[in-house]
Amino acid sequence: MSLATAAAGTAPEVAAAVRSALESVFDAVAATRTDTADLLARVAAEGRRPATVDLAALRPGLHLRLARNELVSGVGFVAAPGLLTDVPAWLEWWQSGSDGDVRPLLLDLDPEQSAYADYTHWDWFALPRDTGERAVAGPYVDYLCSDEYSLTLSAPVQMEGRFAGVAAADVYLRHFEAAVLPMLRRLPGPAHLVNARGRVTASADPAHLAGSLTKGPDFAAVLQRARPGRFRGLRLVPCRDIPVVLVISAR
Amino acid sequence: MHQVVAVKQQQMNGGARKAVFAPVDSRARVDAVVRRIGDAIELGLLADGEQLPGESELAGQLGVSTVTLREALMALRQQGLVTTRRGRGGGSFVSLPEVPGEERLKVRLRGWSTEELRDLGDHWAALSGTAARLAAERTEPDDLVQLRRTAEELTQAADAAARSRVYGRFHVELAAAAQSARLTREQVALQTEIGALLCLVLGDDEYREEVAHRHRSVISAVQDGAHETARELAERCVQDSTARLVALRLTL
Repeated sequence: MSLATAAAGTAPEVAAAVRSALESVFDAVAATRTDTADLLARVAAEGRRPATVDLAALRPGLHLRLARNELVSGVGFVAAPGLLTDVPAWLEWWQSGSDGDVRPLLLDLDPEQSAYADYTHWDWFALPRDTGERAVAGPYVDYLCSDEYSLTLSAPVQMEGRFAGVAAADVYLRHFEAAVLPMLRRLPGPAHLVNARGRVTASADPAHLAGSLTKGPDFAAVLQRARPGRFRGLRLVPCRDIPVVLVISAR
Repeated sequence: MHQVVAVKQQQMNGGARKAVFAPVDSRARVDAVVRRIGDAIELGLLADGEQLPGESELAGQLGVSTVTLREALMALRQQGLVTTRRGRGGGSFVSLPEVPGEERLKVRLRGWSTEELRDLGDHWAALSGTAARLAAERTEPDDLVQLRRTAEELTQAADAAARSRVYGRFHVELAAAAQSARLTREQVALQTEIGALLCLVLGDDEYREEVAHRHRSVISAVQDGAHETARELAERCVQDSTARLVALRLTL
């Protein structure tokens, strides 16, 4: 990862580098969103409703995005239930394996058989649907798709002005840590990154490990203000346009 | 006394002797495959009349040798859960016998010794207890939405199989709330073993209510950040389910 070798010393520089790492993942989400929206518009122009077979046209683009971005381990389009004519629910989802191969995710989405058939309550689906904005979900244990501790970046897709599903990409936390840890370590004090709820996303501070909560500061408010702030001994630097805050403890 | 020894030796010279010198975990593998496929049939994951993949493909998917798979299929045939047809269009098919599901599950439960059930319960308590403790440390209110939904769904689930699936999902979600991918994976694997058996105790409406109540109290303790209480409540919940299975096993 080129980010790992970038010279970054100051907090704003690190926040900018974290932002650009996740923006590269959002680029994959945006490309998937565009492809899917175009595809759905073409189907609508033919006067019909889409089916799973139509989504196969997304595959070359999805495979390309998995190959091009090391941070992206899964990518695809998750249909809103009822969108497709042949199935009640569907994930056109592709993952890269440890051996570099690319394979589709095949889930049992029959509610009569699987307790995990309903995916509409997961943050990566519900946030873009409810806000109309792109979102970063996690870190969370993704027991639906990858069994990995992950971040999922997603954005809503529309068809004829209505919500049709989400375009999304998975970043495994261990890959994210590998990308940002060298930068975090170059900061003058122990540093870690948290999401808007204060959950640690990556850390060079043994007192704040990934997955734990950093309690006290109102991180959502810090992100809202989009300006660096302080809370007791902590420096808080929001990453612009990305719901991640860099937290640096006093030595 | 002499006679007994003679009989033993005779048996040892036959099949039993071979079994003694078979690789130690091959019998366990057969049992594991029998349980896995049998549970899938009981839980409705494999439908009546559905064709199983070919022997070599299935063996590959399950990570066992074809010999092991054949032994497992034979055991499943004996239990009446699989029929094998030869020739064109042949293969192994799921077949639900006319015996009620509960009776078949009891046959499956009889395949577990009380010691194995106790050990399964210990493993489960270790996973869910630790998950509850960690979740209490690492959870903020938004993380509890899924657990609440699942606890609620358990009170709505009509049949025992649906209840068992939702029960299992609660414990998987608890492990996810602990932010541990490993505990979650272990819990998913454990549920594939115990899920079908739990149908036997969750059919009882009163017990279903009790479990739902226990789940709600685990959620409350997690929400309050009461680590040790959360752990104890989660442990007690699964220990009680295991104890019921053991008690039932002893009546069979």
